[in-house]
Amino acid sequence: MLTEFGKIFVFLLVAIIFVAVSIFIAKLIRPVRPTKEKLKTYECGENPVGTPWIKFNIRFYVVALIFLIFDVEVVLLFPWALSYKEYGFYGFLVGIIFLVILAVGMAYEWRKGDLEWARPKPNIPYLKKIIKNQTGEINQLQSEESKIE
Amino acid sequence: MDLTNLYYSLRLILPEVIVSVALLIIVIADLILHRDKKSIPYIALTGMLAALAFMITDLAQQGFAFIPSKSQHMFGMVAVDAFGTFFKILIIISSVFIVFFSNSSLEIQKVSDRIGEYYTLIYGMILGMMFMISASDLILIYLSIELLSLSSYVLAGFTKLRDRNSEASLKYIIYGAVSSGIMLFGISILYGISGTTNLMALNKFFQSPELNLLTLSFSLILIFAGIGYKISAAPFHFWTPDVYEGAPIAITAYLSVASKAAGFALLIRFIRTSFVAVVDAQGNWILFDFFDWRSLLIIISILTMTLGNFSALWQNNLKRMLAYSSIAHAGYILLGLAVLSVHGLIAIMVYFLIYLLMNLGAFFIVMLIADKSGSENIDDYSGLGYTSPLLGVALSIFLISLTGIPPTAGFIAKLYLFIALVDANMIAVAVIALLNTVVSLYYYVRVLKHMYLTKPSASTSSVRAVGINYAVVLILTIPVILFGLYFTPILEFVKNCISILSI
Repeated sequence: MLTEFGKIFVFLLVAIIFVAVSIFIAKLIRPVRPTKEKLKTYECGENPVGTPWIKFNIRFYVVALIFLIFDVEVVLLFPWALSYKEYGFYGFLVGIIFLVILAVGMAYEWRKGDLEWARPKPNIPYLKKIIKNQTGEINQLQSEESKIE
Repeated sequence: MDLTNLYYSLRLILPEVIVSVALLIIVIADLILHRDKKSIPYIALTGMLAALAFMITDLAQQGFAFIPSKSQHMFGMVAVDAFGTFFKILIIISSVFIVFFSNSSLEIQKVSDRIGEYYTLIYGMILGMMFMISASDLILIYLSIELLSLSSYVLAGFTKLRDRNSEASLKYIIYGAVSSGIMLFGISILYGISGTTNLMALNKFFQSPELNLLTLSFSLILIFAGIGYKISAAPFHFWTPDVYEGAPIAITAYLSVASKAAGFALLIRFIRTSFVAVVDAQGNWILFDFFDWRSLLIIISILTMTLGNFSALWQNNLKRMLAYSSIAHAGYILLGLAVLSVHGLIAIMVYFLIYLLMNLGAFFIVMLIADKSGSENIDDYSGLGYTSPLLGVALSIFLISLTGIPPTAGFIAKLYLFIALVDANMIAVAVIALLNTVVSLYYYVRVLKHMYLTKPSASTSSVRAVGINYAVVLILTIPVILFGLYFTPILEFVKNCISILSI
């Protein structure tokens, strides 16, 4: 007899087999007529420019993080607002504390200048040249790297 | 949940509330004091002392906080008891020391413009550890471990001054992510089997005769792996040396004491509340027989201490050596847990109290010397006992105590551990632990040999502790000697603190 997890396992198995079989059959019966356009990377119809492996500005990630926090906040606020009647003043209080803490986070980002796109002084860290000796070990690193600010 | 329930719960977790409020105050103070941030360490210190004061006055407090209103049982998310308060006091005390460490640490002074974030993250760690200690719900356990881990990942690479600093942080976060994933998987399986996340309710569930033993054991081992990572037990210890070596020394000291104490408290509470069927008259814990915790703990602890001690033998970097020594100490403490009785618990708590003093002391002196000489290499310690007598003597005392030789407090710690082992008829294990102690003697005494039996070389610097550092060294040294000779007070204190809230 199957347990609860056994059912999930069977489901998983069927899913994998289904996908594998359908891909295999598609490979057998589909026509293969590649053209230059078809083989290109699909970028919503645009011609791709350059390689995708470029470095993004780190501030994109900062903005993404800030967005994520407030996105999650909204997700939590909707059920909070809807269940207000059920939990009464207690629920209200807990929600307010949560909002205050998030507001402090917002104030922090503002004050530290993470919301401004053009920051006044970009402080670009750089690594001084690493000097290798004959054995290839990095010995001089200790004295050099301490100068990195 | 109504308002009276909330008020009652908040009253029980008052120290945590104080810590959270202090965290917010530090963030706000950091924002207001944009230029001059000298007062932030004092704000941090005040918050810690306030929490400490409340915990000491409410030592006997007991009860469940945050009981779900619609559940059948009366078990809450947070269990407040003397055992938890004891470990919380240990954590706050070590945090207070860490504030002093950070204030005199050269590494931290270099990043003094980010000191607000530094103390905020320290407070994040404290909050995580405090909830970890008193969590009696798997969800809260996981959340608090994450809170602790995320703060410590950032702190491990906080100074960004050296490559190995970032390396420490990166290694820590990768290992941490894997282990927390493993633990979460274990928790999910356990929840899938039992249908509850509460530790007491789990205990009730385990009393039923029909259990799926294979899946259950599997999930328990996964959860143990997650906790084992936090206490750096043997198969999960790989991150420890690299992280401890790379992180700023103040943070290394903190991780080796507080984070480990919280992990142990969590493990003890997990085993005590979920797996103990009855406690007999002698205080032995009779466990449910479906999972052999004792054998697992013995194997892991012997592995941990042997590995820690033998790896420490080859280390020339003192920070790395202390990292391996802390792994070995985790092994000894796990052995105390393997006794599975009240006596073992007392031994663990005494051990932790003394371990806090001696380990923090050793790290503090290594930090003072590293600030002066620029490295933690053992060659810089040649003749140090003559060039800087006070630090030499203090470091000797801490290292002797870490070995466990009388008349230092480390001896008392080991003594109680071995007594507990012998009382439980685990003599073979006790002998192995004793032999391990002999091995550890070598690498501790090697430092002493360098300090006193070699001539001062050109690289040896004379380090004078000044003012506050002098006081901190003395505050840590005196109890290590004092508790070695007169240990009744700590034993009495520990015996008052052994009650764990359970069914």
